[in-house]
Amino acid sequence: MTDYKASSSSSKHGSVSSSMPSSLLVAKPANLQCKDFQEYLRTRSPDTLEKLYNYPTICLAVYRELPEIARQFVIRILFVEQPVPQAVVASWGSQYYAKEQASSTNILTELNVWRTTTIPGGLSAWELCPTFKKNLKIALLGGGKPWSMSHTLEKDSKPRDIAFLDQYAMSRWRCVLHYMVGTGGANKGQGSEVISPDAVRILLHANLMKRDETGITITRQGFQFLLLDTQSQVWHFMLMYLDTCEERGLSLPECLSMLFQLSFSTLGRDYSSEGMNPKMLAFLQHLREFGLVFQRKRKEGRFYPTRLALNVTNKAATVPAVVLEDEKSQESGYIVVETNYRVYAYTDSPLQVAVLGLFTELLYRFPNLVVGVLTRDSVRQALRGGITADQIISYLEQYSHPNMKLTESAIKSKSPLPPTVVDQIKLWELERNRFTYTEGVVYNQFLSQADFITLRDYAQSINVLVWQNERTRTMVVTKNGHDDVKRFWKKFSKNAS
Amino acid sequence: MEKAAAENDDSGSVSLLVIVLDTNPSQRIVRQNPDNLSQCLDATVAFGNAHLMQKAQNKLAVISCHHHATDFLYPMPVKQLEVRQVDGQYEVFSLVEKTVKQRLSHIITNAPKITQPNESLLAGSMSMALCYVARMQRNAQPGVKIHSRILVLTGSNECASQYMTYMNVFFTAQKLGIVIDVCALDKSLSLLQQGCDITGGQYLRLTQLDGLLQYLLWVFLPDPKTRQMLVLPPPTKVDYRAACFCHREMIDIGYVCSVCLSIFCKFSPICTTCHTVFKVPGPLPPKPKKKKKV
Repeated sequence: MTDYKASSSSSKHGSVSSSMPSSLLVAKPANLQCKDFQEYLRTRSPDTLEKLYNYPTICLAVYRELPEIARQFVIRILFVEQPVPQAVVASWGSQYYAKEQASSTNILTELNVWRTTTIPGGLSAWELCPTFKKNLKIALLGGGKPWSMSHTLEKDSKPRDIAFLDQYAMSRWRCVLHYMVGTGGANKGQGSEVISPDAVRILLHANLMKRDETGITITRQGFQFLLLDTQSQVWHFMLMYLDTCEERGLSLPECLSMLFQLSFSTLGRDYSSEGMNPKMLAFLQHLREFGLVFQRKRKEGRFYPTRLALNVTNKAATVPAVVLEDEKSQESGYIVVETNYRVYAYTDSPLQVAVLGLFTELLYRFPNLVVGVLTRDSVRQALRGGITADQIISYLEQYSHPNMKLTESAIKSKSPLPPTVVDQIKLWELERNRFTYTEGVVYNQFLSQADFITLRDYAQSINVLVWQNERTRTMVVTKNGHDDVKRFWKKFSKNAS
Repeated sequence: MEKAAAENDDSGSVSLLVIVLDTNPSQRIVRQNPDNLSQCLDATVAFGNAHLMQKAQNKLAVISCHHHATDFLYPMPVKQLEVRQVDGQYEVFSLVEKTVKQRLSHIITNAPKITQPNESLLAGSMSMALCYVARMQRNAQPGVKIHSRILVLTGSNECASQYMTYMNVFFTAQKLGIVIDVCALDKSLSLLQQGCDITGGQYLRLTQLDGLLQYLLWVFLPDPKTRQMLVLPPPTKVDYRAACFCHREMIDIGYVCSVCLSIFCKFSPICTTCHTVFKVPGPLPPKPKKKKKV
């Protein structure tokens, strides 16, 4: 007699199950989903997009997010009054890059930047969305109304310089991060500021923190969030904020346009909040709390955007690529990684030490220096916590000491880290990916070898066999194939008896 | 993985465009109709802003090439203008437009009066553009790659008197990996065409000014990497004639100094460049008689 047990899981070695369709049985830990601006827009409805395109700032930001070919297409038809036949547009691109061209065309359609129309003669043609066209032209050539924050101001008696703004922005932003790791709360009362309930709500909404019996604690996604570079952090955080802005009674297009106005503003210059409606003023106060703008007093009609707000969707543009004699870069890296896996971090910030401690084994601690070592165990522990090797590497790269970037290997390979260390971290991650999981049902305790072989061969013939062992008369079939095999077995055993 | 690497490659790079605009009033198109200059200027500013619009990291410089001097129109050499928005135009774009127009009117009003047509100092302006590029590259942050190109917009005739400077510019640009693009608004320019060919740039000759911006956007806006993905006008055959050092004229066949490779259209006994003394060629020696008859 055969008995089949439905087992909820069976894990198999990759070499056996590689040809099998593998469905994820063990739910993968939910990882941090970081959308860029384009992905964000694609999930909006056409109506929303149409509303967003009413703002020149948003059009400009959308344009910059487009792929290279799409940008060329848009600018070439920007000044053409009538729709352009699709065949003509297609002939602009080289046929060797047909795939890129097709994807660009799709993106333009998805984002509602252009749409299909027919022109006399029955040809289908592309036509830029009129709102988008009008407002992009305004951004490029002028016309229309000034952006909301450009009222003229009297000269600030005490203008703030860039160094001050950078310092201010980072201290505000670190407050949020400190709150997340709990170091902000530990020394409460010593002048460390707590963040507002609004900010906490966003962190909870974004699933970066969760409420449990002991209070609010950081989640797995929260740790991944900490490893992102500041620019991505701000962007992710703002997206989450925008998700909840409708609940607060703020209009999404207005907020987004405000955010991009800040993003296109000039660092170190003051702007006026005059003429903003109360809702936008409230939004401005939130931005002030996170350090995206500096404002001396709540009521003051003058504010300075900080580096956090600048080029909010584009992290590459925030670091000045060319430093002229009169400018100096502010944020510099502090981490040195050696080929012997030692990590030296010149920092006294508990936050940075805490983040470093996620994937290194800390050895020594000095007043301004922390020494740790990357070990298999420490990295694996981080990987188990849902942090990926790429995140670790990008964190180390992002904060690597300026001197690391000047080494010979760094200049050649673009990465300032020693290649051995980078490879090893990736190998440690690969080690963990030796298993693939397949959901299945175990059949065992067959009474005769013949029964087993019949059933196994049947399962194999319909391609549902995951694994079998003749000696122990055990086999595993996929969950989808289970019904078929069961039916076959019933019929077979009836005939046999 | 590969794609990610390509994207990284992209993000760490900056595209620098230096526009050399010929503002010489002796250009034929300007003499015929002074409005043409402002039309060129508008197209140039819009084109420069379109370049800045492509990516936040993109950089722009505009150089004016006059008959007596070369000067930066944008950015200002020391301190930038304080520009506030007056309409919906992006602040940075307004800054470019205002600066260029203000500087150019300053240059034009201060230029010495000329009585007869003067040639433009194009080669000098291009050298200045190269210097600017070199300075930007020197000041670049470690790990940042600057892709630079120079666009020359001119309606002047080229003058072979600047031949040496042109060649120095072209080969320096080639060595530094700087692409030179040329948009000829009037006559065709064979020397500059050589420069485009040497540095891998685009050469375009327009016969009328209508639709100048559209041509600029089509041919010169994409950076060299993107140009492979697009269909652009095919390269024409390049006239590789050299100008002689004595009369600055384009020649097919000439005399070349065996020491310094200077080119002359007529024989001279002493090389004017390196002062080498040549033997005066006598009348061609009579053909050696075919003595050996077997």
